[in-house]
Amino acid sequence: MDQVELAKKWVVENSDLPADYYCSNSAVFQSRLVKLQEELSGAMDEKLKKTFPLTVAVAGEIGNNSFDHNLGNWPDIPGILFAYDLSQRQIVLADRGQGILRTLKRSKPSLTNDQEALITAFTETISGRAPENRGNGLKFVREVIIKNQMQLSFQTGNANLELRYGERDLTVKKMEPVFRGCLAVIKF
Amino acid sequence: MKIELKKFGTTLVSRQNGREAYLAFLPSLKEVMEDEEVNINFADVITFSPSWGDEFLRPMAEQYGERLILLNTDNPSVVASLDIIERSYNLKFKQENQG
Repeated sequence: MDQVELAKKWVVENSDLPADYYCSNSAVFQSRLVKLQEELSGAMDEKLKKTFPLTVAVAGEIGNNSFDHNLGNWPDIPGILFAYDLSQRQIVLADRGQGILRTLKRSKPSLTNDQEALITAFTETISGRAPENRGNGLKFVREVIIKNQMQLSFQTGNANLELRYGERDLTVKKMEPVFRGCLAVIKF
Repeated sequence: MKIELKKFGTTLVSRQNGREAYLAFLPSLKEVMEDEEVNINFADVITFSPSWGDEFLRPMAEQYGERLILLNTDNPSVVASLDIIERSYNLKFKQENQG
């Protein structure tokens, strides 16, 4: 099955995951991220050879965000899905966590829906772990995507954000199916 | 004092690991003299993220100010991470890159 479809089925229906794609904790994710880094460092494409650290850093920020913001609060299954297909230049990350709205509402109670929460997450230095001074990871992701030949599709709740190279404006749409956690697809 | 970041690993990407690295290195930082420069060398680091950098570099920037100098910061993930940290916290890191 296509990795994106598999991730959607996991976050929506809690379907089975191949063991190779499941990272139960951040240490497992870190070791698989290093493996991705090693594979990308051997790329033949000259441009990719120069920019792959940015791709790894973007995947690292998104994956670690899931762990940082759900630690001790996973609604059912802890951990994330982390899959990649270098031939398609695609990385997929997903979690069955609380989602961006619930996480950010703690430090910004005025947020009322998933669309607002997603825009806030990618544009403001705000953290669901306030008073800890955090919250620049997704801003970094946005800057890297729009300055490099990359794309990101990020869904949480019923909101989907698309980021593309050269497009500073954020496009957020309502999406189906609605789910609680997060799903990110990076193209590079 | 010169700190070789590669000794913490070549994939420096999570807050947890950045915080752990900083705490583990704190005893060594006690050896820094009052007027001594602290050089942090990024050579051979492959992937660097703002989360790791935030936990490791920001406390050092607060403590050493102008005496903190970052070396070999030309990796694209280092450039992008330093940029977002500087803008988020209104900091300006001193940097020196050897051709």
